[in-house]
Amino acid sequence: MVEVHLYGKLRRFTDNLDPSRDSIILVPHKPNDTIRDIIRRIGIPLEEVGSNLFLNGEYSPLERKVEDNDRLGIFPDDMQMIIV
Amino acid sequence: MSKILRVNMTDLTTKFEDVPEKYRLTGGRGLTSAITCAEVPPTCHPLGPNNKLTFAPGILTATGAPTAGRLSVGGKAPLTGTIKETNAGGMAADKLARLDIKAIIVEGQPKEKGKFWLLKVDKDGAQLMPADEWTGKGLYETYPKLFAKFGKDVGIISIGVAGERLMAMAGVCVNDPEGRPSRYAGRGGMGAVMGSKGLKAIIVDDKGGSGVAIANKDAFNTGRKKLTDALREHAITKPGGTLNTYGTAALVNVINEAGAFPTRNFREGRFEGASKISGETINETCKKRGGVGMTGHRCSPGCIIQCSNVYPKPDGTELVSCQEYESVWSLGADCGIDDLDVTGELIRLCNDYGLDTIEAGVTIGVAMDAGLAKFGDGKKAIELMHEIGKGTPLGHILGNGAEVTARTFGVVRCPTVKGQAMPAYEPRAIKGIGVTYATSTMGADHTSGYTIAPEILGVSGKLDPFTVEKAEVSRNFQYATAFLDTTGHCLFIAFAILDIASGFEGMVEECNGVLGTNWTTDDATRIGGDIVKMERAFNEAAGFTKVDDRLPEFMKYEKLPPHNVVYDVPDAVLDKVHNP
Ligand code: SF4
Repeated sequence: MVEVHLYGKLRRFTDNLDPSRDSIILVPHKPNDTIRDIIRRIGIPLEEVGSNLFLNGEYSPLERKVEDNDRLGIFPDDMQMIIV
Repeated sequence: MSKILRVNMTDLTTKFEDVPEKYRLTGGRGLTSAITCAEVPPTCHPLGPNNKLTFAPGILTATGAPTAGRLSVGGKAPLTGTIKETNAGGMAADKLARLDIKAIIVEGQPKEKGKFWLLKVDKDGAQLMPADEWTGKGLYETYPKLFAKFGKDVGIISIGVAGERLMAMAGVCVNDPEGRPSRYAGRGGMGAVMGSKGLKAIIVDDKGGSGVAIANKDAFNTGRKKLTDALREHAITKPGGTLNTYGTAALVNVINEAGAFPTRNFREGRFEGASKISGETINETCKKRGGVGMTGHRCSPGCIIQCSNVYPKPDGTELVSCQEYESVWSLGADCGIDDLDVTGELIRLCNDYGLDTIEAGVTIGVAMDAGLAKFGDGKKAIELMHEIGKGTPLGHILGNGAEVTARTFGVVRCPTVKGQAMPAYEPRAIKGIGVTYATSTMGADHTSGYTIAPEILGVSGKLDPFTVEKAEVSRNFQYATAFLDTTGHCLFIAFAILDIASGFEGMVEECNGVLGTNWTTDDATRIGGDIVKMERAFNEAAGFTKVDDRLPEFMKYEKLPPHNVVYDVPDAVLDKVHNP
């Protein structure tokens, strides 16, 4: 399983919409999965995904390979990030 | 702006001087640092008679340039012993600029200890008067009284009781558009310098002021439009964009996901309670509780980003403005606290007593590490804050910041550089910000070279946060930032101008319009570089060497979860930042 943490409007793909709690969905892992594959499997339209993708806490591109038991954080396109 | 106001606190006199030619083309940080370098002996005691405190609006303040209402406060800092420029939004910079005042220099020291004065500045001149009736009280009580006495439209620059007591975490407070004591030039203890001068407050009444002259209106308007368009276009700064919707605390979830969110006095890089203090939750709570709650609040005139907020209590009345990233982190995650009502109360107390929220939160985190309270104990954190407000002996220890507190209680895990507490980005997980913390002229300061932007946020190209060759990036950012801090623009325009080239050009063209110069964007970086070099020369003369350009030792041997990394940027890289 891949543990996916979703933020902002992407929380709707989990059973928790309350931003004060973590919105997590467990996605079955297949060999050679990339971040893009996981996003597709959840059913998130790619245009709703911003550039802030974190695989095990590392800022990562869509093409990066995902391993079983990894943690993936995905922020939406309207939550590009900030300062101070 | 054509005048400099010099205030001598030894003989309690004020006089206006013409702006000398050497200062004509600068403002904000460029000006406060130039004056500090020219007039303050680098080895002086920051709280003694030979330090000077300079206030300066930016080159573009009150010109109609967007988001350009910052007030720079400079001098030698008691917290760090270095030169310091710290800036705030709020109402005062705009009003000083409208009075055609380029800087106020406060010098000397009153003979009578513990007595305070108030400086009133208006179109007819400047005047010092006793401030006895305004001292010794919280700023939420004092500000309404000052408005009642001097008129509701004045700007107020002041210190709280922490500054009166010369505590090294005391900030300089500026009122926001609704009159709250909430916008701080917080860092470095400049509030204590103001207190050491016996100056409680500056009241700025701009009625009848002449405004700022603009040398070339066409050039200015072209630049202003380019920058405004960039700010309106960029996802982070546009109306309804990230900053406007969630405030700076939108960063909580991002930096936490990146494993770089310092937790429980920099023991861990991820906080299990992060969601509860996130920008999303702030936004949701403002909506749910209603009442006065709002996001998209502006802290100063002419800001089109509007990243501030007003946070409501459960009944919809006001708790505090503003719950921003650094404050909810320092008083939240860094103390193991995951409750916005608690962080809100702690921020309110910082505003009331006149404290830098970063230094205050990190200090309480260190105190918790020392066992003075348990991590996560909000009630105890509030009690410790009251100790500072009451000025008890423990309050004085805490009020002098994280390093003094760590030394007093034998805490080795002391997250400071040059005596100043680190902000909300873990350098072990984001190497480049560590380079900036180590080598900034100001002590640990994220704003002086925000390498987070390219490392995490995808602004201006992308860098891998874990690589160690960050000297050049940090240097470029430190230079660009020094120029930005000179214009009076808020640092948050950086997202847009780093990504959108015409935005950066626009900022430089605005300056050309106001000053009649012909600067290019390369000139802007060069000017910023000259400012940083001048500041470094001051620090060197004050006794700082490359050995001071280092992160605390514990970060080199304590592994930070979840990445389990230490700070491994070689000293040689750090030394390369300012000696390429
Ligand atoms: S962007 Fe935020 S901090 Fe900057 S001037 Fe605007 S409201 Fe103030």
